[in-house]
Amino acid sequence: MDPARRLGPAQIDVLAQLAVATVLLGGIYALISVGLTLIFGIMRVVNFAHGEFLMLGMYLAFWAFVVFTADPYFVVFVAIPLFFVVGLVVYGLVMRGVIHASHNVQIFTTVGLSTVLQNVALVAWSGDFRFVRPWHLSTVLRAGSTIFNLTQVVASLIAVALTLALVAFMKWTHAGRVMRATAQDREAATLMGIDTDRVYRLTFAIGIAAVGAAGVLVAPLYSVYPTAGLQFVLLSYVVVVLGGLGDMLGAMIGSLIVAAVEVAGSYFFGVAWKEIFYFILFILVLVFRPAGLFGQRGAETLGV
Amino acid sequence: MSALLRARRGAVVVFGLAALTPLVVRDAYFLDSLVLILLWGALSAAWNVAGGYAGQVSIGHASFFGIGAYSAALMVTRFGRGPWLGLLVGVVLSIGAGLIIGVLSNRLKGPYFALSTIAFSQVLLIGVSRWRGFTAGAEGIPVPFRPGFATLGLGHTGWVYMALSVALVCYAVEVYLERSRVGYQLAGVREDEDAAEALGIHTRKLKVGAVALSAALTSICGSLWAQYVGFVDPTYVFSVDLSVRFALNAIIGGMGTALGPFLGSILITSLETYLRATFSNWDARFAGIYLVIYGTALILVVRFVPEGLAGIAARIRMRKAHA
Repeated sequence: MDPARRLGPAQIDVLAQLAVATVLLGGIYALISVGLTLIFGIMRVVNFAHGEFLMLGMYLAFWAFVVFTADPYFVVFVAIPLFFVVGLVVYGLVMRGVIHASHNVQIFTTVGLSTVLQNVALVAWSGDFRFVRPWHLSTVLRAGSTIFNLTQVVASLIAVALTLALVAFMKWTHAGRVMRATAQDREAATLMGIDTDRVYRLTFAIGIAAVGAAGVLVAPLYSVYPTAGLQFVLLSYVVVVLGGLGDMLGAMIGSLIVAAVEVAGSYFFGVAWKEIFYFILFILVLVFRPAGLFGQRGAETLGV
Repeated sequence: MSALLRARRGAVVVFGLAALTPLVVRDAYFLDSLVLILLWGALSAAWNVAGGYAGQVSIGHASFFGIGAYSAALMVTRFGRGPWLGLLVGVVLSIGAGLIIGVLSNRLKGPYFALSTIAFSQVLLIGVSRWRGFTAGAEGIPVPFRPGFATLGLGHTGWVYMALSVALVCYAVEVYLERSRVGYQLAGVREDEDAAEALGIHTRKLKVGAVALSAALTSICGSLWAQYVGFVDPTYVFSVDLSVRFALNAIIGGMGTALGPFLGSILITSLETYLRATFSNWDARFAGIYLVIYGTALILVVRFVPEGLAGIAARIRMRKAHA
């Protein structure tokens, strides 16, 4: 179900189609990555379990569809508060104790969490590939020479709307300002009377809510299985590093870049090879601009 | 020599028991577990060279394991040569790959280094899965069993001693890193790179060297594993889970200690064998339960006993000495 595979007859304007495909895919990648970059930027923790929350969102969409025949695009509004609570619980149980620990401890805590969640899903729901097939998946939209299906367009629109809402929240609300202040300087924020533990808890819950919602949105477009999160999380690492850690607008631009690489790569070299391009891009960025395309130089050696 | 043995009596007990077991036990199932314990222990010890001693924490060591496994398997099936030559080719390729990763991600720290190693293993996974003509793609390669030492077609007893030899090699490398000048320099780099640099230590060279050495050892184990198990497929040998597993044994046993990875392997591998046997009678997917326990153990250990089993043992010894 790759968007790029739906490139139709040769007469369509290939470039326009590729551009629209990039924007649609980029919108979804942005929502997946924005939670990761938020957690990364404020808590200074790389959440290696991020993809597993996406996978849980996909299963939520699947079961809601099977049991209640609920459309994923309604379920997404249930998913946001639900995953917010999941985020609070996981923060309290797992993350809180390691927030001031060393990198190694943090890396392996979230890696352990990822293993647990993947295998809980495996035990509970088996390793079978599941599919969510709402009616709009077979509805085709035409705009000029480009064609797309409705599911993809709606998923992308909701994803972009949620991402922008989060950006606005960070920019204009008091809580958002407090979170940004903590990201800039933990000690100074504490001295100003900010309760950093509350900030971290809120950050983690928002990040998980965003990726859970993204999981619901992508469920109809990809197959659902216990390790489905892996491909997305690897991609969102690329996005986050490209955009610069904690930089939400950077993450949105990074999403478009990754989507463009993927769309162009699968068009010119075949779908089978598409992932290899963004991993190579990833390694190149890590080597030459590890602080991101727009980030400050040297951020990667500050010990994040 | 006797002082060294006394200081390392834990290792003498562990490896001595492993060496004596095949003389007494004939049960194939038990010997199979022993081979796996030794091989996983050796792999974690190899990871420990980079992750524990040099502080280069990788979650992409499956890259080198896969390179070793595929080199041996392809040498036998595509070129009709012995697996030993494949093992050698794997070592050379892995050192090359280790140097590339080491040089490219030299500036990266902590999570950034871990991420770049994951990306590297994914590139290999995709490459090997898609290059069907040569690697047989995602279907994997069955490695034929031909009896004899040259073809690595050994019986259970033979495999125990083979795995034990590799385990001892990896252990010896670790011990060397604990006692030699290079080892002390590496510890300096791990604890404070800037300070080490200021003291005139070639931090860059040391880190890259440690990753390459660790890669070579991992590759050897990968080649042997391919011959022992008799099947190689890319989604397993290049998986992130496998990379995590190498790290897990070392962390649970005690990162940066020589015997730690083996203690971790004894605990985790026997737990796995036991749970797999217990639950697989119910339903195949219940084998996933051991991974749930595994992940939980990892979270709890790094949080509450970051120094691992070897660290606990050392603490008890200290308390006794003071009492």
